[in-house]
Amino acid sequence: MRGRLAVGLVILAVAFAVIGGLYYEGVLQIAVSDSHAAHHTTHAILFAVLAVASLIAANFAREKTV
Amino acid sequence: MTLAQALFMGLLQGATELFPVSSLGHSVIIPSLLHWQFKQSNPTFVPFLVLLHLGTAGALLVLYRQEWIAIIRGFFTAAVRGRITTEPERLSMLLLTGTIPAGILGVFLENRIKSLFASPYVAAGFLVVNGFLLLGFELLRRRAERGAALDSKSRAEQEESFATAERISFRAAAVIGACQALAFLPGISRSGVTIGGGLLAGLRHQEAARFSFLLATPVILAAGLVEVPQLFATRVPVGEYVAAAILSGVAAYASARFLLRYFRSGRLDPYGWYCIAAGVVSLVLLTFRL
Repeated sequence: MRGRLAVGLVILAVAFAVIGGLYYEGVLQIAVSDSHAAHHTTHAILFAVLAVASLIAANFAREKTV
Repeated sequence: MTLAQALFMGLLQGATELFPVSSLGHSVIIPSLLHWQFKQSNPTFVPFLVLLHLGTAGALLVLYRQEWIAIIRGFFTAAVRGRITTEPERLSMLLLTGTIPAGILGVFLENRIKSLFASPYVAAGFLVVNGFLLLGFELLRRRAERGAALDSKSRAEQEESFATAERISFRAAAVIGACQALAFLPGISRSGVTIGGGLLAGLRHQEAARFSFLLATPVILAAGLVEVPQLFATRVPVGEYVAAAILSGVAAYASARFLLRYFRSGRLDPYGWYCIAAGVVSLVLLTFRL
């Protein structure tokens, strides 16, 4: 059960990283204040943080050997 | 904006950012009451606010420098190990948990909400609401004290019966973090709602203030750093703005020290009454253009 949760969180981290990359490249224009901007750095940083937080959560969720 | 106005705004921002009385509300209402002509929609005003916030965040970093070193160390240790064993490790993960909802709501909602409600009348109205919120938090806290039969004890003993910031639950940390979004409404205090949230979660007043200040630092710092490029994008009087930011930092440092001492036994009520009175007086003055 904990293993599945950990895998799910890793997948979530990858999804957040991809979304962050898309925001940075200006491909994603959802919920942005300036839809003509080339980069949405703030959104990209937010999703990078969410990706890292998901990885940390996955590390907490995985089954420990000790 | 003149140098005197910039310095006044720096002092106002630094002093009111950490007091539970809404810095945004004051920075919207007071220039209007003083009939100052500078426009907050001016492109040079955002870099000004950025520098003031960096001053406040710098003051909080200086105040909690030792604690932040332990928190950052604890964060990396716990993140790599995947287990929490010490209090700084737990506090670091609580702060991360509280910062994430604030970050999400801030990125997606802050500008829309601020632009919708950036009127001195609205700010004065929300200042009154903020006052009632603070009084409500204390009402619920007193009820909890009565429930725990702490009525007859001294304030110090009452406070000792409640928890330290490290003991808060992760769910409570997330809720308190999300509550910070209320402060996008000018007049609602970020520190007010987070201290109040901490009280409802069973923290001592001083610990609720400490958790609020620690929770504020990454959000204020990140919001400031993200906007730094704007400092170079517009022609701003850097010297005046930096002087105002330093004043903001000094005021924030003094405010934080005062509040941490005050909350050893003090309550939110005086700030609640102040907000109600300031909001009502501001509404009257603005309505009659006095």
